[in-house]
Amino acid sequence: MTPLATLLTLSSVLFALGLLAVLTRRNAILVLVGIELMLNAANINFIAFWRYGPPDPQLTGPMFVMFAIAIAAAEAAVGLAIILMVFRHTRSTDLNKLDSLHG
Amino acid sequence: MTPLLILAPLILLAALGAVWMARPVHAALMLALSLALVAVLYLALGADFIGLVQFAVYVGAVAVLIVFSLLITRRGDEAEEIQRRPKSLVTGLICSLPVLAVLLYVVSQTQTGKPERETLPQLPLKELGITLFTTHAPAVLGIAVLLTAVMIGAALFARETGKTPQNPDGK
Repeated sequence: MTPLATLLTLSSVLFALGLLAVLTRRNAILVLVGIELMLNAANINFIAFWRYGPPDPQLTGPMFVMFAIAIAAAEAAVGLAIILMVFRHTRSTDLNKLDSLHG
Repeated sequence: MTPLLILAPLILLAALGAVWMARPVHAALMLALSLALVAVLYLALGADFIGLVQFAVYVGAVAVLIVFSLLITRRGDEAEEIQRRPKSLVTGLICSLPVLAVLLYVVSQTQTGKPERETLPQLPLKELGITLFTTHAPAVLGIAVLLTAVMIGAALFARETGKTPQNPDGK
């Protein structure tokens, strides 16, 4: 297995683990944890292709990762603020109990 | 190649802990460990700056933010989570295993061949900065606007309004 294939496999498994966390967790904050794992999996791909791909003077891979990290930080801040607001209203972060829009 | 083979299983173990740990705080700490190991992976791959950014932003900010949110919203009903797990686990596996299978199939079909560069490339910081503020200057401005909006929005969302009808005991 080449290093690139190893990194791509690592990133695939990490993405699947993140997806599993998003689908199985009932605590809204732990769903965000899964989303962070998936974002990291994508970032690993960018760095892997930068490292083992042809030389790129434009540094597209690292540049993309930097922007992705900035967006991920913003997403976590807004997500947690929304969860805190929901918690203040319902005293719970359990996604199964947040069903006031249920038909 | 060797640091890769050591780091990859560690990252996956930490991520598995983040997915599996019953106590939310333990899961968040495992996420922090996993993110820190990914930062080490970036350092091992030669992307020093990205590794340090990953460490500062993810481990220093996002993981700590998540831990603090968990402490604020703690209700002590983890036992319920454990009881409910088997049912949701089956659903989660049904959805995530096909995704994993497709991704691994694509990886196995990719002709990665020999690496084009055998030596460790250095991330040239000077070029990174020049590219960031010339080619990607509009994107940097966009990020600046986004972060300002996020800061104001998060402060608006999270501030105490005093109008919490279902919360008679106050906070």
